[in-house]
Amino acid sequence: MNYPKKIDLHIHTTVSDGTDTPGELLEKVREAGISLFSVTDHDAVKASTIIPDLLKEGDPEFVCGAEFSCKDEDGKYHILGYDYDPSSDTILGLVDLGHTYRMNKVKARLDFLRDRFGFWFSDEDLEKLLARDNPGKPHIANLMVKYGYTETKEIAILEYINQLHFHMEYVRPKEAIEGILGAGGIPVLAHPCYGSGDQLIIGQEMEERLKKLIGMGLQGVEAFYSGFTAKLQNEMLDLAKKYDLYVTAGSDYHGRNKMIELGDNNLDTVDDYPEEMKRFLDELKRRQKC
Amino acid sequence: MQEVNGRFEDNKLLITLSGRIDSNNSHQAEAEIKQLIQDKTAVPIVIDAENLEYISSAGLRILLHLKKTNPDLKIINVKTDVYDILEMTGFTEMMTVEKAYRVISVEGCEEIGRGANGTIYRIDDDNIVKTFHDANALEEIRHEREVARAALVLGIPTAISYDVVKVGDSYGSVFELLNARSFSKILSDEPDKLDWCVHEYVELLKKIHGTVVTDGQFPDQRDTAIKWAQFMQDYLPEETGRKLLKLVEDVPQDNHMIHGDYHTKNLQLQGDEVLLIDMDTLAIGHPIFELGSMYNAFIGFSELDHSVVQGFQGFDYETSTKFWHKVLAAYLGTKIEDRIREVEDKARIIGYTRLIRRSIRRDGLNDPERKKEIDHWTKELIELVAKTDTLLFAGNELEVDAKSENLPQVISFIEERMDEAGFTPKAITVVTLAAEEIFVNIASYAYEHGSGEGKAKIRVEITGDPVTAVITFIDQGVPFDPMAKEDPDVSLPAEERTVGGLGIFMTKKLVDDMSYEYKDGENILKLVKKLS
Repeated sequence: MNYPKKIDLHIHTTVSDGTDTPGELLEKVREAGISLFSVTDHDAVKASTIIPDLLKEGDPEFVCGAEFSCKDEDGKYHILGYDYDPSSDTILGLVDLGHTYRMNKVKARLDFLRDRFGFWFSDEDLEKLLARDNPGKPHIANLMVKYGYTETKEIAILEYINQLHFHMEYVRPKEAIEGILGAGGIPVLAHPCYGSGDQLIIGQEMEERLKKLIGMGLQGVEAFYSGFTAKLQNEMLDLAKKYDLYVTAGSDYHGRNKMIELGDNNLDTVDDYPEEMKRFLDELKRRQKC
Repeated sequence: MQEVNGRFEDNKLLITLSGRIDSNNSHQAEAEIKQLIQDKTAVPIVIDAENLEYISSAGLRILLHLKKTNPDLKIINVKTDVYDILEMTGFTEMMTVEKAYRVISVEGCEEIGRGANGTIYRIDDDNIVKTFHDANALEEIRHEREVARAALVLGIPTAISYDVVKVGDSYGSVFELLNARSFSKILSDEPDKLDWCVHEYVELLKKIHGTVVTDGQFPDQRDTAIKWAQFMQDYLPEETGRKLLKLVEDVPQDNHMIHGDYHTKNLQLQGDEVLLIDMDTLAIGHPIFELGSMYNAFIGFSELDHSVVQGFQGFDYETSTKFWHKVLAAYLGTKIEDRIREVEDKARIIGYTRLIRRSIRRDGLNDPERKKEIDHWTKELIELVAKTDTLLFAGNELEVDAKSENLPQVISFIEERMDEAGFTPKAITVVTLAAEEIFVNIASYAYEHGSGEGKAKIRVEITGDPVTAVITFIDQGVPFDPMAKEDPDVSLPAEERTVGGLGIFMTKKLVDDMSYEYKDGENILKLVKKLS
């Protein structure tokens, strides 16, 4: 069987914190010669409803995707969902849950900044902020700089926004995995060694974490990832083999300001795709035919 | 808080990272780095992490993405904590990561040597550090390490640095030197060891000059000397300048090793082993270039102000001149003052050229005291150049292929050395007859089938009181004691046996003494002839 040569299953657009609109992104995917791709915005499925309508004859294959931020007692996780039904109640419920938590969090932060430091924002700006798909700390920080409350975004976050410590409601990994499975999707752990992005989890700790998530229904790991060294990649490939997991490949492309290139996921470091990756691609193919 | 700064240096983009890089600021750090690089993706990037306290995986990913567009990415001055993270995550396998250098201070340390490029201090009983003055210290340290290692492989006893440290604004390399004492210190503390020092000093010098260097990492001292001579064109009468340059250019290229800064501080006695240090000036070239720099170390620098050598070497000018003279005599294997002076004059030409250039480049012409020195050296140089036709000198050793066609060369070499020493033509004839017998023997029998595939070394030493010539023949052929039998090998056909003529017993009667030994794979045959 022939497998696609260039693959990118981890991409962000303006639906979350990327800088390319879904349309712009599609154009770049075409130019990059990628033959299989997925858009995985944070806690959002919007791009997966936009892109299929933009696809033309001969375009690269598209798999709908999303990346859910989750947390439990043991830490934070980013869980990718692939090839779910975007209209399914379970996935929309998951997105809503994430969105509600996020909105609660943003509102709590805005209240805190107002009550503690007296930072006020106009109703118009607040409305704009809350109308975003994914408002977060950087967006609040931008407003603070705009109003002259702080000089830089960094100071805004470190010295003001982060002053609020509160017990937040989070989507739990179990909820995310079940939500993806319920919508017929495939749950995959994103950049496993980096946790939710900025941890370093390797060795025994990684294996324990993986075993727990497998128990919840996790089916794959993103072993080919732009930010992995050969050592981390090999560790994940070994674990995928050991626990019989799918292997996926993604860049985590965000557009401008990040040095990640579209389609960069170190797949070129292997001569032949590992069996665990081939099985994943076979599964996508099989689903398409249904 | 993190800080990203960048500047171009030697066609490299040097990015300094400070503080912590984690998810709170990695976006900003990444954007700033991108801003620094812009479209200059072809420029090699070096990240200086000296002040980087912590890097999280968000920061690691920036490094990895940077590495993908700049395959030569290098990270230097990495603190131990950060290095551990890079090692654990496999970054050290994917890119060049250099740990931060240990910082040491040399304040209050004994200075045991000072060369053109660096100063050597003793840190404690077991270690010395050589600090470099130059901004390019790390490159020089690397060079010295390479040439020192090459020299060690070639049999020169030296210490190899085991660590690089940060000293003030520069760097230093650390050597283990257990309770070693420099020859300068020995000469200052125990003047009665002078002759022993001369002997050891000259033995090692000869070993260095007898070592052939085949790979290209040693600079050619002739090229350097030509540059000195070219510089001098503007500061000498036209004719002197032209002749000086020609004298230097006429020195043939030579692939034997020279140390370049061979003075008594750079010889260390460790236990009973003599070690050579300060190897960064190692070069190839004719020995005259070495003698030139030796002259400066012992005399040249101190010619007008005799206290200079005291300050530098720790012994007085008188000891210094005595040591230099004895060294030169031993190196040339002669007691003949005229011959020593002749070679010294040639060395002074190289020495003064270097001294004058050095002082002028350090603005010496505008300092009355130093101007006086420059004028003195220049005056001497002009006189020397006028009376000198070649910088070449015959050593007291001649090495030739062991072939009988080289006999005339061997004979004239011995004749010249003995003639200089005042031997009578009759005495010289007697010795050359004996030498002919011995050399032809070596050429015919020493190496397999007389194919002449080996070398023969002939050394003429003029020693002692009364004046005596010691002529030594050395070959690496089959062990053979010509004195054991009258006939070298009776199994050989008669026509071969008669080669050389006189026979070894006759030879023995012509000289005052004759001895043979086989040592370290060499046949060593000595002839001794007294002047009277």
